[in-house]
Amino acid sequence: ENVDPQKTAFLLRKAWTLYSVTPLYRFHRARLRDYARLLSAFIAAEKQKGLAVEVGVELDIKVAVSSLADLRGSEQDQAAVLVQLSLRSRASSRNSEDKLVWLGWFCSMYGDDLSENVPEDFTCLPLFLTHGAESYTSMVGSWFQKTFDCCFRRLAISPLNLSWMVAMWAGCKLDRAASAVELVFSMPRLSQPLDISYAIHPEDAKALWDTVQKTPGEITQEEVDVFMDCLYAHFHRHFKIHLSAAKLVKVSTVVASAHCDGIVKILHSQYLPGVLMLLTELAISQIQ
Amino acid sequence: MDETVAEYIRRTVLKIPRDEIKTMLQKWGFLSEAQLQTLNFHQIKDNISQEVVQLCEENSADIKQAAVLDIIYNHIYQNKRMWSVYQMKKTGEELEYFDITDFKKKFKGRLRSALKNVTITFKEYEDNAIWIRVAWGTPYKKPNQYKPSYVVYHSQTPYVFISASVLKSNLPLLCQALIVASNYHDIREMELRSHSLNSLKDIVFKRYSQNFQTYYPKPLQEGNVEPESGDIRIVQENRSEKERIHRLNWEVFGGGPQPKLEFAQYKLETMFKSDPKMGVLDKKEPFRCLVKFSSPHLLESLKSLAPAGMADAPLSPLLTCIPHKARNYFKIREKKGLFPESFVSP
Repeated sequence: ENVDPQKTAFLLRKAWTLYSVTPLYRFHRARLRDYARLLSAFIAAEKQKGLAVEVGVELDIKVAVSSLADLRGSEQDQAAVLVQLSLRSRASSRNSEDKLVWLGWFCSMYGDDLSENVPEDFTCLPLFLTHGAESYTSMVGSWFQKTFDCCFRRLAISPLNLSWMVAMWAGCKLDRAASAVELVFSMPRLSQPLDISYAIHPEDAKALWDTVQKTPGEITQEEVDVFMDCLYAHFHRHFKIHLSAAKLVKVSTVVASAHCDGIVKILHSQYLPGVLMLLTELAISQIQ
Repeated sequence: MDETVAEYIRRTVLKIPRDEIKTMLQKWGFLSEAQLQTLNFHQIKDNISQEVVQLCEENSADIKQAAVLDIIYNHIYQNKRMWSVYQMKKTGEELEYFDITDFKKKFKGRLRSALKNVTITFKEYEDNAIWIRVAWGTPYKKPNQYKPSYVVYHSQTPYVFISASVLKSNLPLLCQALIVASNYHDIREMELRSHSLNSLKDIVFKRYSQNFQTYYPKPLQEGNVEPESGDIRIVQENRSEKERIHRLNWEVFGGGPQPKLEFAQYKLETMFKSDPKMGVLDKKEPFRCLVKFSSPHLLESLKSLAPAGMADAPLSPLLTCIPHKARNYFKIREKKGLFPESFVSP
């Protein structure tokens, strides 16, 4: 479970768009180099068809597919698979560095619920995270779908799950300088849209959570509800507005931030496994 | 013509939407009508601006004229900038006669005595608004024309609207020059900021409809509400609650359109209070929060909260006081003593 912070540093402080992925059929870890070649050819063909938007100099996309051995939770988890797309300009000199333009990785962190129940030929990596242009995501996704007969779906995060996240992360032990615990709400059905940002000093949010959480190491729905009700009540006392009637769209803490459209930013390597575990769980429920 | 002036004019023209260029140049009045006729406004903006620069070259434009064009642009597109409101204070009550020439002389004098390199430009508008543009330099550098400050002063009032450039260090000097020139003795920044300059003026000049609690018009007949089949009592109860909410809203917000603000920010330093049964946080220190409301039209959206069922009516005075307290930044602390539930906003 000890993830080397050096190897996973590139995962931090990036906005990742989340997808759930159904199990991959006949995916072989020994063939990663082949897959990279095939994906590269596929992307080149797509561009020739004019499906990708590229203006100007003809650019080469270099594909790398690798295994991240450390990024897994249980013994049953498959190690994460990373796909990197880099740009290499033909017009530039031979020693110019490739520019990384897109990153995507498949992951399973304690995804035993899913992996326990699939037949042999299937590889379970239910969580897919991307960073980079949508056009590349679409091409990579299409190739994986065709090759491994799997299905990608954007992973939306419900207000219920966002409130779990903020309650959990607000309780995390703090560094010297921690950022505020922020909840962003959107008020629906008004004549003019209204957004409300409710940011709480991290020490005060943690103090509140510590009195709510009864059993250390365990979190119940009831505790999350009490935590949120406290925040709603404090807000209502001042503004007479029912935040519970609003839509929670984004939460942000020193550990990580998450948006209801399925976009996540992880800020601390210490909590990386915990966040990935939660996201894996969400991905699995979307698949099942 | 100076190269930097040429470039500045070129960039200013580029900012203007193509359809507006001719009108703005006419308002500027620096190029003759005959010269404007020679311009082809149907080409790409890059070319139009080059042609304009050439004409300005013929007329030997200097930075002073270029600055006037910039004021005209910013007057029309004033909502692109963020404006803060300042209030000046006089010692006596005397209404002095306002002499614009005297004002300009004193303003320029005060700035120039402190800073050699400044570009100062004035333009007066019909509504008694004096627009002032200041480009700031240092003792060793010429003024940066791309980051000027804009001031709008209505001479019959103690209010000044400032859209400062990024160089905030010049603000104290600017404020000093304003009070010296206008014969006031003090100036303070109000906690009121918005992109909509007109709305800020509406608020401080009290030009919006206010809550006159004298007469509430008879509620409209709810012709489009179908009576529910079944219990008639339920329909009536909803209706009277709806009417109550509308009446309270009207009392607070008035019947007319609200000034347009985009946000309100509250720094809360109040205590966290809860039902003792819940066994949660019971600290003696404040529960520190920062709450920010944002909307393209904040006051209208707040007004619609209670009718939509998202808020109680009457809405909290923390929100409804925004226009008449003329502020949208607040620091709220607990009020000690008799009324623990009420708040103090310093």
